[in-house]
Amino acid sequence: MLEARNLSFSYDGITPVLNSLDFQVQRGEIVIITGSTGSGKSTLANCLSGFIPRSIKGKFSGSILIDDSDISDLPIAEVARHVSLVQQDPESQICTLQVSDEVAFGPENHAFEVKEIAILVDSSLRSIDAKHLSGRATFELSGGEKQRLIIAAMISCRPSYLILDEPSSSLDPKGVFQLRHILRDLKKQNVGVIVIEHNILAFQPVADRILILSDGKTLLIDKHENQESIQSTQKIPNDTISPLLSTRNLEFSYGDRKIITNVTFSVYEKEIIGLMGNNGSGKTTLLNLLGGLLVPDSGTIHITEYQLKDLNAKEIARRAATVFQNPNHQIFEKTVWNEQILTLESLNLVTPETLQKCEVSLDQAGIADLKDRNPFSLSHGQKRRLNVSSIAIHMPEVLLLDEPFIGQDVEGRKFIKETVFETINRGGAVLIITHDSNFVRNHCDRVIFMENGSILLDGSPTSVFERLVTIGYNEYIDSGVQS
Amino acid sequence: MIGIIVYPSWRLSTVLLFIVFIGFYIAKVPLRLTKGRTKFIIIFSVLLLLIQLLVTSNGTILGFIIPQIGEFGPLFPVTDFGVVRGLGISTRFLLLVFSSMLFVSVTDPTLLAHSLTKLRIPYMYSFSLVIALRFLPLFDLENHTVRMAQKSRGITPEVTGIRKIIRTIRYTFFPLLVSALSRVDALSMSMDGRGFGYRSDRSYFRKSSWRMIDTIVTLLVVCFLAICLLLSVGYFPELSSFI
Repeated sequence: MLEARNLSFSYDGITPVLNSLDFQVQRGEIVIITGSTGSGKSTLANCLSGFIPRSIKGKFSGSILIDDSDISDLPIAEVARHVSLVQQDPESQICTLQVSDEVAFGPENHAFEVKEIAILVDSSLRSIDAKHLSGRATFELSGGEKQRLIIAAMISCRPSYLILDEPSSSLDPKGVFQLRHILRDLKKQNVGVIVIEHNILAFQPVADRILILSDGKTLLIDKHENQESIQSTQKIPNDTISPLLSTRNLEFSYGDRKIITNVTFSVYEKEIIGLMGNNGSGKTTLLNLLGGLLVPDSGTIHITEYQLKDLNAKEIARRAATVFQNPNHQIFEKTVWNEQILTLESLNLVTPETLQKCEVSLDQAGIADLKDRNPFSLSHGQKRRLNVSSIAIHMPEVLLLDEPFIGQDVEGRKFIKETVFETINRGGAVLIITHDSNFVRNHCDRVIFMENGSILLDGSPTSVFERLVTIGYNEYIDSGVQS
Repeated sequence: MIGIIVYPSWRLSTVLLFIVFIGFYIAKVPLRLTKGRTKFIIIFSVLLLLIQLLVTSNGTILGFIIPQIGEFGPLFPVTDFGVVRGLGISTRFLLLVFSSMLFVSVTDPTLLAHSLTKLRIPYMYSFSLVIALRFLPLFDLENHTVRMAQKSRGITPEVTGIRKIIRTIRYTFFPLLVSALSRVDALSMSMDGRGFGYRSDRSYFRKSSWRMIDTIVTLLVVCFLAICLLLSVGYFPELSSFI
């Protein structure tokens, strides 16, 4: 049994993140730990896997025990033989260039015999259903394959417990479905699994217990209880004919690799469009083309009556705002306030009224009291809210959001949804890349489903979801993501 | 590389450059001389040549970049020494870059790390090369993303004035630096968690082996280096007259 006893931790020695927390997980058990942003989920993961207090410093008290033995004196490499941590971003954890090298990396460091390493590499890749990837280059893998590879790399050292931090964040519904199977298999192999996750529904079907972390302590919640009620919004009918945004025969390639093939569609005023599809289907590239951030090889994009290629960067930014997947890429300034007004400054739109609007927007985003803080010091959820707030403050006609709900707690999702509704209420349109089928079902007017760079389906959520079932994309219907 | 440093002949560099291009062809490594970074490298080498032509006034004057027009000029004399010096520097630059590109394209970093460990270099150092090669394409991709993010905010690179240059640099390097540091944190935790550095020795799943071709290449390289050294001190005057 892996156990935390009377665990307390504070990064600055003043504000407690974990507060006299007690927690246990048995071998062969799958436990989901959820909670709001900043509730201490990742901190708990780092404590259980030994990185706190060994690598990450702060005020630590209490103890971590494995089978009733205190592990406080063990070095990190020894702790990791028992408890392995798979962090949020799989890309950053891969340190070699070939799949088999990555899986062998742990056993090699522990100087296992080569024959034994070969057996471990083979069995670990089999357990994640990725034997066929063995000789592939790691940088060629998709997001889901990288996530599975890192799990294989961790279990090749045969740990008794595996912790996964927000595993659904880099996975499409198909990837979540595969990961559920992997977790079930690990459970059968008597591995204790802890899943840190905002999106409970992703792994609820395989979980034995769901715990919610609040005020640094855990609370048990019912495995079958849904955390959020699904809210339905009233759809605003499209009553205009001329599109706000339209594309015609759009094509785009990176070198020889064709990413977007013959994409034609229109977006009308007051429309919310969910852009769905597997990882690598071209959703992000399409969004970047629509936002004028990439230039198509051929085809046209119009925003209202203007062709995008005839507008300069500032004129495009005034009309279309893009929010990226990784919030760090879109933060440039030294304080939250400067970051909030950056778009207004670059577009020469700073007035007393717009500055007042900035104050209100930061307040709604729940970060008004952090105005003087360095934006890079904010949590992931806060950074994402700052991105959305700062990019939409000048009221662009089109809002392009790339996976905005990842890593967001209830309050974060609420703010992003409000920004979306505010945009359509003033006559704009919103395109959202999301795997969140509940959000799409309840709030989107249309779904565009992409496959291999082309539009496979375009229609109302009901009709698209019905069609997805018939063509074998069942995992998108119940993608287990909360709205 | 050491050979053309001790004997900096543009003719020798050109021959070696030709051999490197044959290497690209044999290794089936695509090399598009007119696209992207390769195009930039070639333009940069031409700039190096032009700068040498402009700043070198020694030697026999072959002509002028700006000829005499009426009473104006002539300006910027081009000398034979300037041409030789410019060609020497630009071909050496091209040779350095393209041979490095070929080396990276055809070398398996894990096997190279193993080879270095066999040469008694601690694996902690040899692996830094593997990690650098692993993350270079990623940082290149992130640089591209940050530039797109700037565009999305209406920020365009401005170089009209020191303040604007500093701002442009800051807007590029801040997000890149933060992203790189967060990746370093995640990577070091991932590697520590898998026992990297825990023991002074480690085993290798895939190992490099010494083959006959390695012996032949090593002998050829040593011979080449010896010839370059002899050429540089004045041996083989017949050979040095045309190479």
